[in-house]
Amino acid sequence: MRLNDALLGAILLGFAGWVWWLTTFFPAFPGQDYGPNLFPRILAVGIAVCAALLVLRGLRARGGLLVLEGWARQPARLLSFLAIPGAALFYILASDPLGFIPTAFLLLLALSLWFRARPVVALPVAAGMTLLVHWFFAGMMRVPLPRGLMDPFL
Amino acid sequence: MDPLIQALGLVFDPYVLAVIAGSAVFGMFVGAMPGLTATMATALLVPVTFFMSPVPALGAIVTATAMAIFAGDIPAAMLRMPGTPASAAYTDESYAMTQKGQLNLNLGVNLVFSVAGGLVGVAVLIACAPILAEVAINFSSYEYFWLACLGLTCAVFMTNADPVKGFLSLFIGLLLATVGIDPAAGFPRFTFGDVDLMSGINFVPTLIGMFAVSELMRGAVTVDAAGRMVAQEVGNIFRGVGAVFRRYWFNFLRGSVLGTAIGALPGAGADIAAWISYAVSKRFSKEPEKFGTGHVEGIVDSTSANNSALGGAWIPALVFGIPGDSITAIVIGVLYMKGMNPGPTVFQENPQLIYAVFTIFVLANLIMLPLGWAAIKSARQILRVPKNLLLPVILLFCLVGSFAMTNSLYGVTLMLVMGLLGWFLEEHGIPVAPLILGLVLGEMLEQTFVQSMIKADGAAIEFFTRPIAGVLGVATILIWVVMVGRAVRRGMAPRAA
Repeated sequence: MRLNDALLGAILLGFAGWVWWLTTFFPAFPGQDYGPNLFPRILAVGIAVCAALLVLRGLRARGGLLVLEGWARQPARLLSFLAIPGAALFYILASDPLGFIPTAFLLLLALSLWFRARPVVALPVAAGMTLLVHWFFAGMMRVPLPRGLMDPFL
Repeated sequence: MDPLIQALGLVFDPYVLAVIAGSAVFGMFVGAMPGLTATMATALLVPVTFFMSPVPALGAIVTATAMAIFAGDIPAAMLRMPGTPASAAYTDESYAMTQKGQLNLNLGVNLVFSVAGGLVGVAVLIACAPILAEVAINFSSYEYFWLACLGLTCAVFMTNADPVKGFLSLFIGLLLATVGIDPAAGFPRFTFGDVDLMSGINFVPTLIGMFAVSELMRGAVTVDAAGRMVAQEVGNIFRGVGAVFRRYWFNFLRGSVLGTAIGALPGAGADIAAWISYAVSKRFSKEPEKFGTGHVEGIVDSTSANNSALGGAWIPALVFGIPGDSITAIVIGVLYMKGMNPGPTVFQENPQLIYAVFTIFVLANLIMLPLGWAAIKSARQILRVPKNLLLPVILLFCLVGSFAMTNSLYGVTLMLVMGLLGWFLEEHGIPVAPLILGLVLGEMLEQTFVQSMIKADGAAIEFFTRPIAGVLGVATILIWVVMVGRAVRRGMAPRAA
C-alpha cells in the first residue's frame, strides 16, 4: 500500500502544523529565551519543509493517489497481514482478563493454524512455547505477567 | 593493568560465559533464517538483557550480532536468500559459486574471513577508542552538539534512500524524543495528560515494533511461499581456504580496514560496508570480468568488511555516545537504561567495562569459528524450521519483551503503534534507521543545543569558535550543502525515475 507523495506530503504538512499549534500552549519562562518550545518548533519546520518537497514532487509525477500491491488485493494474504497487528490487539485486550497463559496459547494456536500449520504440530508447539516463555519471563526474570484466570493455579 | 585483570574477571565468569554461549546460538539461528535480521536479534535480546548487569548485557549483544552477520552468509550461499541485509551484496556471487559446485569453499571462505575481519575490526577499536577518548574528554556542549548533528546527518547521507525521506524519518525520530518531561524546564510536552507518556516514548518497545513487528507483518504475507530444499551436501569447508588467503590476503586487509572505517562512520553499518567493499573489489580487480560468475575475490573483500564493521561501529558509540549503526544505537539505549552515559568519562570511571567489551569482542569472534562450523553443518535443519510456527512465536517474544519494559500494557500498545508506523514508513521508502538514531540522540541533541544557545546568548558564531567544534560544524554544514546540491541537481535533471 503506497500513498502518492503529494498526499503523504499533505498529511505530514498537517501534522507539522498540528505540532506547531501544540507548542503554542507551552509556557514561556521570563528571562529565558530558549524554552521548551524551541526544539519541537525547529523539528516541525523541518518536517514541513520535507513534506512540501514531497507535495511538489508528487504533483509533478502525478500518478494514482493510492497504489496497492498484488497481495493487498488477495483477501487471504491481506488477512494474513492483518493477523499480526490483530493478534497484538487481541493480546492487549485479553491478557488482563484472561491472564497470560490462556491468551498466549490461544494467540499462538490461532496464528499458526491460520498460517496452515498442521494441528498435530501446532498444538504442542503453542502449549510448549507458552509455558517456556512464561517460565522464563515470569519465573526467571520476575516480570509480572497477568495471571487472570490462572490465578488460583499459579 | 589493574582494570584489564578486573575486566577478565568480569568476562570469565561462568554466568557471563553462559550468556555469551546462549546468545551466540541465538544469533546464529536468527542470522541464518532469511527474513530475520541482526538488528531484529538485538531488538529481541534487549528485554532479556534489561535484567542483567552491564557486562553480560553487552556481551549478549556483541556476540549475537557478530554471529548473525556471519550466519547471514549461509542461506545466501545455499538458497540465494541473504539471511541478513549485510550479506545481500554478495548473495548472487555466493550462489553462483554453489552452482559451480564450490559450496564448501564458499562457506569456508565466508566463515574464516568473517572471523578474521571481525578481529581486525576489534583491533582497530582497541587501538583507537582510548586515544579518541583522551581527546573527547575536553569536549563541551558545542562539540557534542555538532557531533550529534554530524552523526545524524551521516545517518541520512549514508542510506541509499532519498535524502528528503531520510531527513523526514530523522525529524520524526527527534520529535518522538521530545515527548515527555522536557530536559531544560521540566515541562511535560505532547503527553495529552497521559501518565505513561510523561516518561517519554520508551525506546525498547519502539525498537521491537519498528524492527520486528513490521518485519513480521511483511513476512506474514509470504508465509505460504514454500521454502526450497538445500540440494548439496556440505563436506570439508576448510579445504582450499588457505590457498584463497595466500592469493587474496590484500583483499582481506583492504576489506577489513574499509569495513571498520565505514562501520565507524555514524549511520553506516555492516550492510553498507559490504556493498562498498564489493564494489571496490570489482573496481580494482585484475579480473573484473569474473565478478558475478562465482568468483571468490569479491566475497573475500565483502565478507571481511561486514564483520569488521561491527567493531568499527562501537568506536563512536563508546567514545562519544554517537551510534555508528542501528545496532549500536540499541547499545547506547541499553547503556542509558543501565544508568551509564556512554562517552569519554566511561573510559576514566569504568575502564574495566571498556576492557570487558574488548575481551568479549575477541572472544565472540574466536568462538565464531567452531559455532559457525556447527551452524553450517546443521544448516539443513535450521533452514527447515517452518515459518508458520516461527512467526507466531516471534510475535509472542515481541509482546512479552515490550510488556517487560514497562510492566504494563503501555509497552505493548506502543510496540503495536510503532510497528504499524514503521511498516507504513518503509512502504513509502522512508528508512526507519534514522528515526531510531533520532530517538536515541534526541535528548542529547536538544540539551546540548539549548545549553549552547543559552551560553552563546543566541550568537551563532559561538558554535564555531572552539577549534574542534568549528571543524565539526563546518564538516556538518558541508555535508548539508552537498546534499542540497545533489537534490537540486536531481530536481533539475529531466526526470528518469
